[in-house]
Amino acid sequence: MNTTLLILIAALVILSLIFISIYNGLIRRRNEVDNAFGGMDVQLKKRYDLIPNLVASVKEYAKHEKELLNRITELRASALKPDLSVDEKISLDNQISGAIKNMLISVENYPELKANENFIFLQRSLNEVESQISAARRTFNAVVTDYNNGIQVFPNSIIAGMMGMKRKEVFVISEAERENVDVSKMFKQG
Amino acid sequence: MKSADSLKEIYHSKLSPALLSLESKRKEVVKRFLLSVFILLLAAASFILGQGNSWAFVSGFAIAILAFVSFWSAIRKHDSYKQAFKNNVVRKIIECIDPDWQYQPESCISTDEYVESGLFPRRWDRYNGDDLISGVIDKTDFRLSELHTQYKTVSVDSKGRRSEHWHTIFKGLFVHADFNKEIKGETFVLPDLAERLFGKWGQKLQRDASRGQLIKLENNEFEKYFVVYSDDQVEARYILTPKIMEAILNIRKRFNTEIYLSFVGSRVFVAMSFTKDLFEPRLYRSGVRYSDIEQMYYQFNTISVIINEMNLNTRIWTKE
Repeated sequence: MNTTLLILIAALVILSLIFISIYNGLIRRRNEVDNAFGGMDVQLKKRYDLIPNLVASVKEYAKHEKELLNRITELRASALKPDLSVDEKISLDNQISGAIKNMLISVENYPELKANENFIFLQRSLNEVESQISAARRTFNAVVTDYNNGIQVFPNSIIAGMMGMKRKEVFVISEAERENVDVSKMFKQG
Repeated sequence: MKSADSLKEIYHSKLSPALLSLESKRKEVVKRFLLSVFILLLAAASFILGQGNSWAFVSGFAIAILAFVSFWSAIRKHDSYKQAFKNNVVRKIIECIDPDWQYQPESCISTDEYVESGLFPRRWDRYNGDDLISGVIDKTDFRLSELHTQYKTVSVDSKGRRSEHWHTIFKGLFVHADFNKEIKGETFVLPDLAERLFGKWGQKLQRDASRGQLIKLENNEFEKYFVVYSDDQVEARYILTPKIMEAILNIRKRFNTEIYLSFVGSRVFVAMSFTKDLFEPRLYRSGVRYSDIEQMYYQFNTISVIINEMNLNTRIWTKE
C-alpha cells in the first residue's frame, strides 16, 4: 500500500482521537455545570420549604410584622412558579434572602419568640440551608470557571464553537450575602 | 482558660517548689550518666592498655559490664525523673488551664483514631506516643496527644548485609475535636508541597484518586499552602467556608509548621508536625525556668487556638 496513504490514515486517526477526547472533556464540563446548578436548586427548594413554617411561627408572636411576612409568602409563591428563567430565579432568590434577613432582625423585638423552641429549631435549619446554598453557589462558580476556561483555550475553542457552547456567567455573591451567617450569630447571643 | 499572668502566679506558688525538688533528681540523673561514661572509658582503657594480658581482659570485661549496669540504672532514673516531672509539673500546668481536663502521661491517641482520620494512609511499623489529654471546651470535646509513626525499609548492600532504615510518617501533635456541622463524606486538607515547589505545574501532580476529587478553592493564599481532596465538592465548600480557610491559614502561620486536616464522621482531625519532643523535661540544663513552663502552656493551648479559630463552639446549624 502507498506510504502516503498510510500516513494520511494515521494522521486522521490521531486527529479524530484528539477530537473525541476534547469533545468528551467539554461535555463533561458542561454536565458538571448543569449538575452544580441542580445541586443549588435543591438547596433553594429546601429553603422555600422552610418558609411556611417560619412564617407561621413568627406570625403567632410578632403581630406587627404582617407586611413583611406577606411579602415573604408572595416571593416564595412566585419562586415556586414553573418555567422561570435562570436570571429570574437568581433575582427572586436574592430578594428572599434579603426579606428573611429583615424578618430575623425584627424578631429581635420579640423575646418570647426568640425563646420558642420551635423557632430556634427553624432558625438552625435556616442557617444550615443558607450555608449549603452558599457552598452550592461556590461550587457552581468553580465549575463554571472551569467550563469557561475549557471552551476558550485553543484548540478546544474551535470544537466548542462547533458545538455552540457559550460562556456562562458566574454568580455574583454580594457582600451582604457573604455575611449571612454572621447575622444569625447575632441572634444566638440573645 | 487562665491568662499568662495567672500562670506566672501558679508558677511561683505551686510549680517552682515542685521544680526545685525535681532539680536534685535531675542532677542525680546527670551524675549517673557521667559516671557511666567514666566507667565505660575505664573499661576501654583497660582493654587497650592490657592487650595480650588475660587479667586485664577479664577485669576490662568486668568493668564494661559494670558500665552497662550503670547506664541501665541511669536510664531508669531518667524515666522516673520524667515521670515525676509529668505528674508534678505537666499535670499542674494542665490543671491550671482547665481543672476538668484529663491527663494520661503514658497514653496516646489510639491507632483506631489515627486510622479513622485517614490522614496518613501509609502502613506503620512503629507507633509511639504519649501525653494524652482529653476534655471539653465549651461545647466542643477534644482529644490530643503527641504521636510518632514510622515505617521500616530494609536494604541489602553488595556484601549481603541487611540494614534497617526507619522513616517518619508523622511526628507531632495529633488532635481531634467535635465538628460543629454535620458531614457525610470525607474531606482532606493537606500541605501542598507540589504547588509550592513547581507552581501551577504542581497542580497536575496533585491529583490523587484514592482521596477523591481535587477541589480548587477561591482563596489563593490557601491554595498556595494547601491542597484539598473530597468525595463531595459541595460538602468540601460547606466545611471550608471563606472564614474557615482564613482560620486554617492563621493556625498555620501561628505555629509555622505543616498542618494536615481531615473532616471525617463527626470530627475534625488536625495533625501538626513538630520535629522536637513536646512536653518533655530537659536533662542537661536547669528545669526550673519559667520560659519552659510558658512554652509548654502555649503548646497545650494549641487546642484552644484550633477551637477558637475554627469557631467550633458556634452551634447555629442543625448539629447541636
